[in-house]
Amino acid sequence: MTASGRAAVALWLAFVAVCVFFVSRAEYSADLSAFLPSSPTAAQQVLVDQLRDGAVARIVLIGIEGADEPALAAVSGRLLENLRRNPGFAQVQNGSLDLLAAEAEFLIRHRYLLSPAVTAERFTVEGLRLALERQLDRLASPLSLLTTRMLQRDPTGELFEIIDAFGEHAGPDRRHGVWFGRDGQRALLFAQTGAPGFDIDAQASSLDVIQAEFERARDVPGAQSTRLLLAGPGVFAVQTRAAIKRDALRVSTIAAVLIGLLLLIALRSPRVLGLTLLPVATGAAAGVAAVSLVFGSVHGVTLGFGATLLGEAIDYAIYFFTAGGRDLALGRGPHGLWPTLRLGMFTSLAGFAALLLSGFPGLAQIGLFSACGLAVALLVTRWVLPQLSPAGYEARIDASFGRALDRVLVHAPRWRLAAHALLALSAGWLIGGGVPWSDELSTLSPVPPAHQRLDQEIREDLGAPDVRHMIVASGNSRQRALERAEEVARRLSPLVDGGIVSGFDSPAIYLPSEVTQRARLNALPGQAQLRSNLAKALAGLPYRSGTFEPFLLEVPAHKRAPLMSRQDFEGDFLAIKFDSLMIEHEGRWQALLPLRGVQDVVAIERALADAVPEVMLLDLKAEADSLYREYRRQVLAYSLLGACAIATLLVAALRSLRRAWDVLAPLAAAVLASCALLVLFGQQLTIFHLVAMLLVVGVGSNYTLFFDRALQTGESPQRTAVSLLLCTVSTVIGFGTIGFAQTPVLSAIGTTVAIGALLSLVFGALLASGRKLDHGAADRADAR
Amino acid sequence: MNARLARLIAAASVLLWAQFAAAQADWGLHELMRELAQTRRSEARFVERKYLSVLDAPLELTGRVLYVAPDRFEKRTLTPKPETLIVDGESLTLHEAGRARPRRLRLQDHPVLWGFVESIRATLAGDLAALERFYAVGLDGTRRDWELALAPRVQAMRAVVRLIRIGGSDSKVRWIEVTEAQGDRSVMQVFEDRQ
Repeated sequence: MTASGRAAVALWLAFVAVCVFFVSRAEYSADLSAFLPSSPTAAQQVLVDQLRDGAVARIVLIGIEGADEPALAAVSGRLLENLRRNPGFAQVQNGSLDLLAAEAEFLIRHRYLLSPAVTAERFTVEGLRLALERQLDRLASPLSLLTTRMLQRDPTGELFEIIDAFGEHAGPDRRHGVWFGRDGQRALLFAQTGAPGFDIDAQASSLDVIQAEFERARDVPGAQSTRLLLAGPGVFAVQTRAAIKRDALRVSTIAAVLIGLLLLIALRSPRVLGLTLLPVATGAAAGVAAVSLVFGSVHGVTLGFGATLLGEAIDYAIYFFTAGGRDLALGRGPHGLWPTLRLGMFTSLAGFAALLLSGFPGLAQIGLFSACGLAVALLVTRWVLPQLSPAGYEARIDASFGRALDRVLVHAPRWRLAAHALLALSAGWLIGGGVPWSDELSTLSPVPPAHQRLDQEIREDLGAPDVRHMIVASGNSRQRALERAEEVARRLSPLVDGGIVSGFDSPAIYLPSEVTQRARLNALPGQAQLRSNLAKALAGLPYRSGTFEPFLLEVPAHKRAPLMSRQDFEGDFLAIKFDSLMIEHEGRWQALLPLRGVQDVVAIERALADAVPEVMLLDLKAEADSLYREYRRQVLAYSLLGACAIATLLVAALRSLRRAWDVLAPLAAAVLASCALLVLFGQQLTIFHLVAMLLVVGVGSNYTLFFDRALQTGESPQRTAVSLLLCTVSTVIGFGTIGFAQTPVLSAIGTTVAIGALLSLVFGALLASGRKLDHGAADRADAR
Repeated sequence: MNARLARLIAAASVLLWAQFAAAQADWGLHELMRELAQTRRSEARFVERKYLSVLDAPLELTGRVLYVAPDRFEKRTLTPKPETLIVDGESLTLHEAGRARPRRLRLQDHPVLWGFVESIRATLAGDLAALERFYAVGLDGTRRDWELALAPRVQAMRAVVRLIRIGGSDSKVRWIEVTEAQGDRSVMQVFEDRQ
């Protein structure tokens, strides 16, 4: 080994050590928001924040099934008790009515702060008279049984006003005193973790606690058959990470074994086999290290995608060992291997650089990872592999295999017509039928569809409504946001009366702003005033004297009581309700007011017109859809930009339009045909398919560049064909295996690249053999 | 006491016992429930008086009640203020005068209310199991003039209702008296329409 060789190896070892250091410290994330734009509109920001930080992101939906109703209800009750004792949960609810009673007591205690009907007029002689007459009607009502008890404390009926304001929550059904799904097959609970939704480790341990407590709760006769179902954003994050880990491990093990076997047969040396893995492994480590340095954390999808890098990077080593071995010289001579590999790498880089520029952290991560990984893998192939590979090693290609291949290639021109027809058909079909783009944001989710369905089911059971329209009122403090929410409510109430909106929710219903609370307390009269007003109001009514003493005592006490704050309902159902309607993001507070039954969006906009921009009306479905469409449009634009960069690069490097065409045309054909194939198999195309196409171009350009090189050098066509075939087979094995992964992203990329790589080779071979015949004809013409 | 007299007394008591046993076998709680269950539909006028501690004088209500087997019950109050209560299956709807939208509740969400509703509905339906779910059921009187006493089983309900008594003859309910925990009381008299 030469001095410079030793230096290269030492440098490489040091580099690997540094990478390993960063890889070991890297943090991993799996939240969907990484694949949302980093500089969104204000409306999109609300959406993203809700997905990421909101109280909603900390909710775990729990279903218990697999036994009869009483057994399920009993398990639900025990699980509730067990979980409530655990400090890791801010909330646990199963709809139990005992808890409801505690809630009612809270409302009674704060009735003069919470009731929207509290005004000074209500406590005048006329106001009290009206209230007392209304209470007489209530006494006559069949429900008086339940309401009479509050009469003496609350003759003005504030508790009724509060219950009306809170609305008739369409909660889940109750059976045996606890929440059940509609068909009665599933008892429901929901828990809110103390830890934030994006802290996956904390979420994972919360889920473990739930699982363990469930095991204890069902350990009684008759309940052993019960099963636990979990859903919710935190569960998704944990499951996704686990699924990607599992997928990556399983897929890469299977792929590694298969590719290893293939290479062992072709290369006939375990040592060389080990060496082919060095560039890949170093590249992957460098990619993870670079992403974690630049972005702070590595997204699970990036990591999964990184595994696919294997497909392209391993090719470098294969070229190195099959297309001539170490002595054939990387870099030596005008037609050495090195310029071709280098150009191939730059071509891939041009594609991935486009992703780096896109405004989406998730895609930029994939771009950075791939660019770093490929560059490092090639550098290792170029400078380190020659130092380590056994002296005089040359892959012996089986001559008969080569000849057989050659015979196929000789006949290839016959297939060109068929290929052209196929391409014309693909193009016609895609243009005629339109590309079936998937139009839902959820397709970006790394969560397997089965889990998404379960989540949807439990959500429907819990009666969590699908909100479409929402008003967001923001301010620089919680109080300001609440005051604006109250202003919005004042403007909306005529619309509710007019039937334009059937109703709305607001955090200020559960915690009024301090301004409002103070105004309500100020509206309460002093004791002497109240006593005299009440005495006058009672004249002529059939109430027995002394009935309202509790009222006369409580009102002055309420007037002196402190205002309500968020802490007052900590651990209560109302806290979940309030928190889910309130978002804090970088010092900005946003109150969310979901609207029900919107008939006329324009009328609402008109009512809010002069309150903008602190108040805005969102159409969440439209926002989500436009977010996704914009996202896809941008990725498409960046991909086209990448394609242009690749074309420019090739023209500049090859200094020939014709050669650049020969390299690019098979790739374009492969992309077109694989799109058509995917569509034929009923796939809806997503952004991940687009990204995979970039990879197809990256991998495929190596093939076509090698065909080009073979044409230029007149090198043994057998050798080129064999080493390319080896690369393709290993790529198809690698990506084909990934195509069977459960994570939608991975399977989309795997399938696409496997098909695309194979087609690149086929089209490349067809074009190259055609050119060879032309060359042959030209040579013969010259000779004549 | 001579042997003849002793035999006579023994024979008489056997006879009396047999008669009593026959009467029991002939008519009891189960028999009453079976007979009540025969009625598929009944309509009646009612007068209800509520004796409440917060009021100086009793409150008098009049209106109509309707029962349709197996689980629909309506109480339409006409005076002093129109108001309609409809229980159908698991839902309870209350239409109040001067309120555009009715209030709707699910009985399962309000166990006390549910128990109260079943005291009447399950009696009309002759559904002993439903009654016994909420109450300890006692029966007194004869087929011509019977009286059910329903004592709530659950604490939550006992906090509201002390006792419900329902009187009737044959398969007709004639009156319902509800005594609340705090001593308030209401008596509803039912006058069935001729079929």
